Amino acid sequence: MALRIWASSTANALRLSSATRPHFSPLSRCFSSVLDGLKYAHSHEWVKHEGHVATIGITDHAQDHLGEVVFVELPDIGGSVTKGTGFGAVESVKATSDVNSPICGEIVEVNTNLKETPGLINSSPYEKGWMIKVKPSNPSELEALMGPKEYTKFCEEEDGGH
Amino acid sequence: MRIPRNLEVWRLGTVNYLKALKLQEKLASDRKINKIPDTLLSLQHPPTYTLGKRRTDYNLLVPESELKNMGAELHYTQRGGDITFHGPHQAILYPIISLRDIGLGARKYVENLESTMTELSSLYGVKAHGQRKCETGVWVGDRKIGAIGVRISAGITSHGLAFNIDPDLTFFKHIVPCGIADKDVTSLRTETDLVLPDDEVIQEQLVSCFARLFGYNDIIWKDKNVIEIDG
Repeated sequence: MALRIWASSTANALRLSSATRPHFSPLSRCFSSVLDGLKYAHSHEWVKHEGHVATIGITDHAQDHLGEVVFVELPDIGGSVTKGTGFGAVESVKATSDVNSPICGEIVEVNTNLKETPGLINSSPYEKGWMIKVKPSNPSELEALMGPKEYTKFCEEEDGGH
Repeated sequence: MRIPRNLEVWRLGTVNYLKALKLQEKLASDRKINKIPDTLLSLQHPPTYTLGKRRTDYNLLVPESELKNMGAELHYTQRGGDITFHGPHQAILYPIISLRDIGLGARKYVENLESTMTELSSLYGVKAHGQRKCETGVWVGDRKIGAIGVRISAGITSHGLAFNIDPDLTFFKHIVPCGIADKDVTSLRTETDLVLPDDEVIQEQLVSCFARLFGYNDIIWKDKNVIEIDG
């Protein structure tokens, strides 16, 4: 599928390792990409910590399981987020799903492009589909999140175990 | 070894929309902390129009005051989906279940809700189908027989599906149902040649289809009067 080809060529260009399974494997359940350099929450959000700012979005696995996103609800700048609590929501297939923050902090920027183009979450979950930028109040919270390998395993178990 | 999964089904009869919403919020909260098992509410509503999170009230074609004259209520909700109507002889299922426990995402969950309604339809010889791209719901040809609007919070579902057994379809004329202008709404009564049993029978069959599709081993039926439930 075009998305996987795009994702892996982008990953190659950025020299990121991808845990994407070969798409020709009929037994594989995990077709989603997982990027190095990010931290991951059990509720399928990712965090990218650069300097004093942490960018948050939902993972490729999450967007794939949601379906086409048609609406995104985001909080206001200046508000705060709490670890494990919802800060916004996305709508797909007539379902609104809460999006949770993996960390505590103050919201310094929100991705207003998502209002006009909510589908960026599907087409570019780790880049153009970012949701909010936060000033972490407790950077050590990031250590408690999963790394890429751990998150990949978590996805496999979640998808395969039922 | 797979752990057997039970579904607790509350048969509630006809329930005011806000009362049902308050009940769902409480149950979802209880489900989140594992105080209760997966629970399914089976009920009907008095005439009620509802809107989803996107607040698409431009799809309401009459003033709100006129709805009151018709004996209908209007409510804004946090569920997905557009404007819809609920009323007598429409079967409502509100599953309050943990999607994380069964490893389902929103898309697959909604597909299963569609399949619940297509399976029920087939019991009466009606060929319905879901999984229409961009138009979630269940259709017989170009006519919509079942609607879906769901909320997922902390991995727990609320709201759910509405299946038209034999509601008064004229209520749908006052809205653009689900935001889809050029399609009709239909019902099991309209589509089947068979004589329909009482609503309660059909609702039980709908619950059984749900339980089978979602892989529950046992159904525990409870008849509840929502007024007696501590809110």
